[in-house]
Amino acid sequence: MLVHNRAGKWAVWGLFLVLFLPLFALPLLVILAASFAGHWSGALPSGFTTAHYTAATRGDSLQALTTSLVTAVTASLLALAVGTWGALGAHALPRPLRRVLDALFVLPVAVPSVVVGLAVLVAFSQPPVLLNGTRWIVILAHTVLVTAFAYQSVSAAVLRLDPAYEQAAASLGARPAYVLWRIRLPLLLPSLTAAAGLCFTLSMGELSATMMLYPPDWTPLPVQIYAATDRGRLFTGSALAVVLMTATLLVLFAVARIRTRAAYR
Amino acid sequence: MTGIRFDRVSVAYGGTTVLDALDLTVEPGEVMALLGPSGSGKTTALRAVAGFVRPASGRVYVGERDVTGLAPHQRGIGMVVQQYALFPHMRVADNVAFGLRARKVPRREIPARVAEALEMTGMGEYGRRYPRELSGGQQQRVAIARALAVRPGVLLLDEPLSALDARLRSGMLAELARLHRELPDVTILYVTHDQVEALTLADRIAVMDRARLQDVGTPRELYRAPRTGFTASFVGNANLLPVTVGAKGVAFGGVELEVDTRGAAKGAAATLCVRPHVVGLGPGPNRLAGVVGEIQWRGATHRLYVDVAGHRVMADVRELRRPPAPGDAVEVHFAPEDAVLLEAGVSGG
Amino acid sequence: MVRRLAWSLPPAVLLAAAFLYPLALVVRQSFQSDTGGTSLKPYTAVFASAAFRQALWTTVWLALAATACCLVLGFFLALVIAFVPFPGAKAVARFVDVFLSFPSFLITLALLFLYGSVGMANGLWTEATGEASGPFHFLTTPWGVLLAEVTYFTPFVMRPLLAAFSQLDTAQLEVAASLGARPARIVRRVILPEALPALAAGGGLVLVLALNEFGIVLFTGAKGVSTLPTLVYSKAILESDYPGACVVAVVNVLVSVGLYGLYRVVSRRAGA
Repeated sequence: MLVHNRAGKWAVWGLFLVLFLPLFALPLLVILAASFAGHWSGALPSGFTTAHYTAATRGDSLQALTTSLVTAVTASLLALAVGTWGALGAHALPRPLRRVLDALFVLPVAVPSVVVGLAVLVAFSQPPVLLNGTRWIVILAHTVLVTAFAYQSVSAAVLRLDPAYEQAAASLGARPAYVLWRIRLPLLLPSLTAAAGLCFTLSMGELSATMMLYPPDWTPLPVQIYAATDRGRLFTGSALAVVLMTATLLVLFAVARIRTRAAYR
Repeated sequence: MTGIRFDRVSVAYGGTTVLDALDLTVEPGEVMALLGPSGSGKTTALRAVAGFVRPASGRVYVGERDVTGLAPHQRGIGMVVQQYALFPHMRVADNVAFGLRARKVPRREIPARVAEALEMTGMGEYGRRYPRELSGGQQQRVAIARALAVRPGVLLLDEPLSALDARLRSGMLAELARLHRELPDVTILYVTHDQVEALTLADRIAVMDRARLQDVGTPRELYRAPRTGFTASFVGNANLLPVTVGAKGVAFGGVELEVDTRGAAKGAAATLCVRPHVVGLGPGPNRLAGVVGEIQWRGATHRLYVDVAGHRVMADVRELRRPPAPGDAVEVHFAPEDAVLLEAGVSGG
Repeated sequence: MVRRLAWSLPPAVLLAAAFLYPLALVVRQSFQSDTGGTSLKPYTAVFASAAFRQALWTTVWLALAATACCLVLGFFLALVIAFVPFPGAKAVARFVDVFLSFPSFLITLALLFLYGSVGMANGLWTEATGEASGPFHFLTTPWGVLLAEVTYFTPFVMRPLLAAFSQLDTAQLEVAASLGARPARIVRRVILPEALPALAAGGGLVLVLALNEFGIVLFTGAKGVSTLPTLVYSKAILESDYPGACVVAVVNVLVSVGLYGLYRVVSRRAGA
């Protein structure tokens, strides 16, 4: 479309590959390779083994995976509930008030996650609510961090929703609660699942706030990966990273399946 | 039996008046068309009845009930909009049942009433389908069935045919007329910008322009004897000629024309309304000499634009074997009883 | 109206309790010295330390450099995917989306294998030359962080750009080409103006993310590279200096919000 002669095209594609492969494709491949490697002291890894995976799927590591999954699922569902409620509520308000709510819900994105972690730590290590040392402080921080994304994507979807549907429903005699339950939420379902997927992904990979907060008995996978690499066990770290990526992608894939089914109805 | 009454209803958005003191009564069982160009306030009037716009002043009555302050779901109205707004996640039968369920109609009555509404619109076979599996015309029928299933006293139709192509539209027009014959008790408020739909379907037409009601009357009255220039030009695209009232008729461009002056004062300025299809080519009564400005062949007819005394007069004549060319001098004429004299100052919109 | 307000209030109250209230406590604690009472002492103490000033400077220049690199790189890559498509271009675009769903620190982990002291690049070098060690030692310097950030954040620029490019009518490009415009001119006069809002949005996002990035810096494991977020972590968790951590946190928030605000003003002036 843009470049029409053959030589020019190949030159552009060549430059693209030179930039794209080492920067984006290579890192993921390297992690995958390392997770199977016994040694890596030369140009290429050697001594292929699945021992790292055996280690990564038992004991502390398995515990870390379930911790991450439970944290991510809980935080995403909470965030989805609060974010959806917030977005629907904001939509019903006059514009200036809606702006205020928009700003409030988007603020956690602009504030560094480490600071969110610190703030939660400071606030919930003292009365009236003591959560420090429990798993709930981690889940709470994750919820705060991902609620912003849930709010934003649901809010965008609510704006896109054709008001004609709600109006048709109201003209047929449906009260607002009935319209919400039978018309608006079902029509928002594809966006809600997309938002849930996004929240889950972010929570699965969350490291910064978690590092500030995690109690010894609630170590999510990213912290476990950090602990492994920090002790120089890079191959184990890689295997754990692959487990993290795979789990994330599997859940995303399942969510996408639900989403296409919801959109197809 | 439920009618609709607008009592000086005004609606404004951010300082702009989009509906200005509308006074209009729709009799029970009547089909009233709100006809006007876009931005004339016709859709706003309909939405004020449905409850989606709050009037700045004035009251809206449905039957004897003042519904001005009621929420849409409390008004007991059926509505069909331009894009139908069928719920995409529900089957046709569930769409039609929606209003019944929302109004808590006893569960065992619902299937029969859904079937009845679908039968009435010829969609009995399609209950299991999803809206996206239907053609535009079928979606239209489902939307009407959904609105009728709740047995509303008032049915609001907002440009219901504008999303259909021309052939389907004339078919649906006949369908709507049949439905109204079958449901003579339902009062219908029909918003359209298409004069053919209004003339075909309506018992009476309310012509709207620039947020105001311009004219109300039966189709025949509006067509034959429009009260304003806007009505005359919007309903049937009439020639509007500035004339001076004389002793026995009117003067236009120095020519005396014989028309019914209805007792208008002699010497007053007025507008003469003449429909293009009553204008004939060649000599006759009320003869006007001019020059052909433009000529269009339209299959069965020729449309001539003839410049007479600085005004362009449209004439629709049966297809001509040897049509004149632009620049040819011609004569046109019309019968005295085919012209209507309007007040001065009114001009085509 | 009152009912609507009451209806939309609970989620806002929840968020305020879980986020605004803690944030307010951070600000309050940043004004409390060890001896108690309100004072500016934590601020003067933190501002006086060389480590803090170093971290502040590193954070800002790293974020600005990463944003600039991501904008250039992301624009070029998105341009090729959208307008010089090759077989598999769609898959690459999909890959970019997948990339976004992984945590940032994985990039640093991968770079350790690629450019670490016993990594692939140095391994190739020593095998080829027979020297005892390779020449690549930048990973534990800010340059390593910059490389990781550019890698990780470029997709955040590409995604809005690809969305914007897919909206662009390709007939425009064909008309421009048929009028004799060269590719560079088409990019400058037709594509760039259309892409500016997406470019500005992506750039703003990258700027904020880079200012707040923690995982990448933590994983480099270099004591030499410290940014405001890692300083917050080390002060609070490693040194248990909460007032100090709160001061750095407040500064970090102000720098993020301030630079982002400045960025918005500048990019609006530039017509995006």
